Amino acid sequence: MTSDVTLYHWEPNANSGKPMLTLVEKGVPFNSHYIDLLAFDQHKPEYLAINPMGTIPAMTHGGRLLNESTAMMEYVEEAFPGPAMMPENAVDRWRVRWWMKFLDQWLCPSFSMIGWSLFIGPQVRERDPEELKAAIDRIPLPERRIAWRKAIYGLFSEEELAESRRRVDFGIGVLEQALAKREYLGSDQYSLADINLFNSAYGLPSMQPDDVNDEKTPNLMRWLRAVARRPAVRETWTYSRVPRFAERILPLIEEAA
Amino acid sequence: MSMTLYHGEPVGPSLTVLAALFESGVEADLVRIDLGLAERHNGAIPLGFEANYSVEGEGPVLVVDGEALTDSVFIGCLLDDLAPQSGLRPRDPYARWEMMAWCRWVIERLAPGAAALANLAWTTPRLAALDDAAFDKLIAPIEAQDLRERWVQTRDGTLSDDHRAASEARVHEAAKKIDDRLADRHWIMGEFSLADLESYAWIAPMRGLLPAAFEGKERLAVWMARVAGKPSVVRAMEMTRTNEMAGSFAPGPEINRWG
Repeated sequence: MTSDVTLYHWEPNANSGKPMLTLVEKGVPFNSHYIDLLAFDQHKPEYLAINPMGTIPAMTHGGRLLNESTAMMEYVEEAFPGPAMMPENAVDRWRVRWWMKFLDQWLCPSFSMIGWSLFIGPQVRERDPEELKAAIDRIPLPERRIAWRKAIYGLFSEEELAESRRRVDFGIGVLEQALAKREYLGSDQYSLADINLFNSAYGLPSMQPDDVNDEKTPNLMRWLRAVARRPAVRETWTYSRVPRFAERILPLIEEAA
Repeated sequence: MSMTLYHGEPVGPSLTVLAALFESGVEADLVRIDLGLAERHNGAIPLGFEANYSVEGEGPVLVVDGEALTDSVFIGCLLDDLAPQSGLRPRDPYARWEMMAWCRWVIERLAPGAAALANLAWTTPRLAALDDAAFDKLIAPIEAQDLRERWVQTRDGTLSDDHRAASEARVHEAAKKIDDRLADRHWIMGEFSLADLESYAWIAPMRGLLPAAFEGKERLAVWMARVAGKPSVVRAMEMTRTNEMAGSFAPGPEINRWG
């Protein structure tokens, strides 16, 4: 595909999924460049030459670099034609931005802390210790170095994990209430806030079936199916290479279809 | 559209929103509250979920047709959406991306550190002067558990050595980042924008608390004087009622829980 947009991404979920799903929803052609997060491709010199921050995702449009996934989504919305991914009304737009911030800074770090402590950390720790140390030392941003060290060596304290579990449990209730009030998150229109949330929340029914189901969270389930039904979601998952992630979303997509 | 802005003294997030409002020319009733004594939660403001769980912590609240809106940068975006000629955000999408990424850095990296240092200096003594019953009464209506805990920590004045060092490091980092950015420009985005207000509102109160971070940074000093001279900022600063910053700060954004 010839395009002046290249997206550097890992699996089509969490932060990588945010700009990817936005691009697909807007119908913007892009070159896909898969960066294997668990092989630490994002800290290798060839990637740092493109994105010196060493974070995923990143995007180039022409000669310009963009990072920070939520800000990238707003860029895609504003820079390209296609269906509007932001509501018209100014207060609705404020609410969409507010929810994205709440997800980015309050709720989703708790999802990922739990995910790392249970699944990814133990898997990564099976690697050669020297190789891991070298990989951490290559991380350019000091705060990301601290975060990766905690994630890789499982250094989250019991208090931190308990607070993350509290936030996830509380967050599920909050999302149910928000989606009872409006058809989508933040407004009655599908928007960037939904893209943001879906990429972190699609696994909830399979990961926490006792908490997220048709009886306890009917609105969250309705919303999950409505987003999963979108052709753009199905298309982004063709970029997945790790079966463990795809296995968690494909049943939801099939069921919603 | 009816609007009421509940704001504190014109520093930190209250300064950002007051100046942004004046830049936009949007009309709003102004009501001063004491954020440092949790007046935001005293029942007079119709706080909804979003206001109770504001990531910014205790900042100003803009009530629009009965709905409480928080978080300075997003209120600034709203004002720019309502008054697109205001210049609060650049028009070019790439410049806008850059501005939003910059502001995110200010909110996530600088603001938690600056708020921690400012609270320790100005808010802790005010809260410590209250007896337990009075303090408990102030924070009882606060819905968010983690925000309520930050109030208790603020009153106790407990800041670990690590937290203090990290907070000071962020002020140093921000001062350098702004000074470097100004090497080829007068304003952070080239033209004046919300990024100048948000950055100034958090960095300016640090000059007295951590002067070492400002030493030798001529461009930063000139830019601070430039922002302070903007008519919107002058107008906001004229609303100052105290000689100290005491009434201005309150528990701000939490420090990133994961690195």
